[in-house]
Amino acid sequence: MTSLAEKPNYNDEIVKWFTIATVFWGVVGFLVGVVLALQLAFPALNVGEYLTFGRLRPLHTSAVIFAFGGNALFATSYFAVQRTCRTRLWGDGWSKFTFWGYQFFIVIAALGYVTGVTQAKEYAEPEWYADLWLTIVWVAYLIVFLMTLKNRKEPHIYVANWFFLGFIVTVAVLHLVNNAAIPVSLFSSKSYPLWGGVQSAMIQWWYAHNAVGFFLTAGFLGIMYYFVPKRANRPVYSYRLSILHFWSLIFMYIWAGPHHLHYTALPDWAQTLGMTFSVMLWMPSWGGMINGMMTLSGAWHKLREDPVLKFMIISLAFYGMSTFEGPLMSIKEVNALSHYTDWTIGHVHSGALGWVAFISFGAVYHLVPILWKRNGLYSLKLVNTHLWIATIGIVLYIASMWVTGIMEGLMWRSYDALGFLEYSFVETVQAKFIPYLIRALGGILFLLGSLIMVYNLIRTVRGDTAREPGMVKLEAAHA
Amino acid sequence: MIEWLSDNTNAGMVGLLFFFSAFCGIAYWAFNPKKKDEIEGHRYIPLEGDEQ
Repeated sequence: MTSLAEKPNYNDEIVKWFTIATVFWGVVGFLVGVVLALQLAFPALNVGEYLTFGRLRPLHTSAVIFAFGGNALFATSYFAVQRTCRTRLWGDGWSKFTFWGYQFFIVIAALGYVTGVTQAKEYAEPEWYADLWLTIVWVAYLIVFLMTLKNRKEPHIYVANWFFLGFIVTVAVLHLVNNAAIPVSLFSSKSYPLWGGVQSAMIQWWYAHNAVGFFLTAGFLGIMYYFVPKRANRPVYSYRLSILHFWSLIFMYIWAGPHHLHYTALPDWAQTLGMTFSVMLWMPSWGGMINGMMTLSGAWHKLREDPVLKFMIISLAFYGMSTFEGPLMSIKEVNALSHYTDWTIGHVHSGALGWVAFISFGAVYHLVPILWKRNGLYSLKLVNTHLWIATIGIVLYIASMWVTGIMEGLMWRSYDALGFLEYSFVETVQAKFIPYLIRALGGILFLLGSLIMVYNLIRTVRGDTAREPGMVKLEAAHA
Repeated sequence: MIEWLSDNTNAGMVGLLFFFSAFCGIAYWAFNPKKKDEIEGHRYIPLEGDEQ
């Protein structure tokens, strides 16, 4: 037993492994994204059976969400829960199992995608055998997290841990319900879902939207509530607001899924319910964003001096922007224009690249010098370069998708004087060529930024320091 | 009682009232001025954690 004053022996080895996996899968996911963007502009790049758009698209989404994002969540939750509970992570063997088990899941899911083994459910493509394996790994994750909370020396459970726990529990429920399926046989990769028709569609989008709400939002808010105060060396702006933020997200997010099924066979009342809760989500989302940003209240100069903190605060700005745009797009009249267009792709990427990836980059830049016991990062100037290259990349990406999406939405609904469609589908595809090139350029810049990060992190781990007199002092203060 | 609660026409309204009341209760608890110092004191937990 250790008291509050004693220094616990934290398990940082497991955090190191998950951090390495985060960076590795991140680069893989971004690279596949660039390939897909180029395939959309130049269809001739669909080479062979295994590397066509249809096979690579789930590989990209799973690589960035579950491999990059998932490993980032494991790393940061294991790091933060130990510090905020003042106790070592429970079960060294169990946490190792979550690492290797999760990487194994990623590999078998990816192999399924490229060989055409899929449930054909967005963000839930892995077949029954991979789903069962992930269930075992996820239960182990829950046990490790809960037992660490149980062993805590700090009487209060800090709000970041509430967000992490909310994410772990809800993702487990979503995964089990949406993937309920019966395999054709024990030796077949094929299965049939338990749900059918509109119920299946409703459950799928209840799952998928809450994968966004709990995997990509609640979990990453856990990162925000620990790493922003830590990096800024200031307490979060309002702890009471964080409590309200947590419970309002938990109460509301779960109902927003039906907005993915506007103007379908889903009952109208369910569509309106989804729209209403999506609009209501504006408030907690912006409450959380303001809480994160205002943490810097009275110390805004830190934003000028520390590019790692800049990553975190820009991520909050993107969080605010995408959580404004999401409810807007869920309004039926807006959705009538935006649905099935590239506007949705732009919206997703402003959240995924701007919010999820940026807060993860910030956390990784903060973690690596601490985990490898270095005085600071190799180069803060390179962090700044990464920040601006990636930001320009995101802006090119989302602006081109806004233009493309609204343009094709307007083209699809355009009628001539006789009531015939004014444009054939292929004309709308041709009209998107230039924006598709701009999107690919945005993706290439984002990938380039991540490679700069890899170089910076490798030099940091090796113990190198670039000559940046103004910045060394700042980094040393964080380590 | 259980039958009444599990009836489709009642369950929705009961659930709505329960969760809405629970949320209002949480909001009242969190923003009760008497609790302010105690709750806001938890803000410092990450800053007190030992890095190494």
